[in-house]
Amino acid sequence: MADTPAGSHAHAYTAPQAPDSAVTRGQFLTLSSVGLGAMIGAVIGVPATAYVLAPLTKEATFKSVALGPVTKFTSETAFKPTAATYVEDPAEPNTSAGLAWVHYTGKQNQDWLATDAMFVVFSNRCMHLGCPVLATPQGFACPCHGGQYDTRGVRTAGPPIRPLDRFQWEVQKGILVITQRWSVDYVNGQLTYFPVKMPGQPVQTPGPLGDTVPNILYPNVTYTHGPIPKPQ
Amino acid sequence: MPSPIPIPPPPSPKQMVLATEDWVEYRTGFPTLVRKFLFRKVPPTGWFHTLGSSLLTVFILQATTGALLAMTYDPSPNGAYESIRYITDVQTLGWLIRGMHKWGASVMVILLFLHMGRTFFYGAYKYPREMTWLTGSLIFISVMGMGLTGYLLVWDERAYWASVVAININGTAPVLGPFISKFLLGGPVIGAQTISRFYALHMLLIPGAIIALIFVHMWLVVKLGVTPWPSRPPEPEPEPAFEPHPQQHVDAPVAVPVTAAAEQREVQEVGGD
Repeated sequence: MADTPAGSHAHAYTAPQAPDSAVTRGQFLTLSSVGLGAMIGAVIGVPATAYVLAPLTKEATFKSVALGPVTKFTSETAFKPTAATYVEDPAEPNTSAGLAWVHYTGKQNQDWLATDAMFVVFSNRCMHLGCPVLATPQGFACPCHGGQYDTRGVRTAGPPIRPLDRFQWEVQKGILVITQRWSVDYVNGQLTYFPVKMPGQPVQTPGPLGDTVPNILYPNVTYTHGPIPKPQ
Repeated sequence: MPSPIPIPPPPSPKQMVLATEDWVEYRTGFPTLVRKFLFRKVPPTGWFHTLGSSLLTVFILQATTGALLAMTYDPSPNGAYESIRYITDVQTLGWLIRGMHKWGASVMVILLFLHMGRTFFYGAYKYPREMTWLTGSLIFISVMGMGLTGYLLVWDERAYWASVVAININGTAPVLGPFISKFLLGGPVIGAQTISRFYALHMLLIPGAIIALIFVHMWLVVKLGVTPWPSRPPEPEPEPAFEPHPQQHVDAPVAVPVTAAAEQREVQEVGGD
């Protein structure tokens, strides 16, 4: 028995094999063990992977939140937006705290999409990497990496890749309420709304492709949303 | 009356130690393992060769202090900062344990870069040590992951915003970026799930990976040996110049013609070849 190790005490006996047998007993047992091991691995691995990756497809729903009475925001004369803090999810006040910059335009239309809308409500999240921006007389400035925006929230200097997000708002019984967040960009000089993307991710490219390429490269959005608003 | 059988003297302490070692050796083989690990042959080494052991030491310190911190730390948005303040200000020697963990983290990254530089400049990543370099690279990435996930756990303003920035940097990678950032966030936005996720990564997953990788890395170091400082292969020994023995000054003038004559005769008689 050539395959019996030297000095082995094993009996030098192997079972006679059927001449047409393609798989030996040892090979069969090895394959069975590997297959069984793979099955056991899958039983643990598949649910574990799904468990870990589940958040990847999850989207948040923006919960309407009151910023305060309208009169609190209407004293602005020059560009000096009022900071309004809010808690988006009352269950998680420490992580869902946000700040909106409410800019009073001096006009009285309470339709947020109108050209003479009363307010423009900016998100304070810098579109470079998400630091909080501060209002300045010229617009907004980010302390982290020096991003600068003008009074429309459009980048004027530094690394941000698109204008500041804006909040959809309405006035309910004299209270200013934000109801949804939108990413924005100017397309041919026209303010255009897009589903929310995280800072650093573009919403559109110049030219005929529009938002096609960004939607392929940066596929998922943060918030569930209804129809995308068209400014009047 | 003296005993007919001589009583052996009691074993000396050294004999007892040796007997204990034999006992353990026979049952586990560990003494041989340890001896082979510690008393292996190495080429001439210097201080640069201590960086790997220093890294291992710092890692053990980080693991120990980290386990101690975890006994008090509360990975929740409401409790994280307060528990850290408790560790630092109230708990006995908490400032020391936390300080060691904090500074040890920086020391580990610095040592890691030095160790990597040593490996690079010694050419120690080349055949046959490619796998050592690759496992080292995985350890490097894991340590970076520890830095990222540990930073958030302090849960002060700097930790929060630095993590927001880091997560958004991940998000800017095309195609996979948004998924990576959502994986790190544990959801669409930063929340309670983010800090517990970072805690689990920092406490369990990444350290487990590092420990496994360290074993592979060290097995390879022991198996392949330490790389010496790269140098040119030694010059071949020059042919020794003819240096006659003092006696030859006397003998040679006589012996050489005689021998030459004898050899010539031999060649003539035997026929050369």
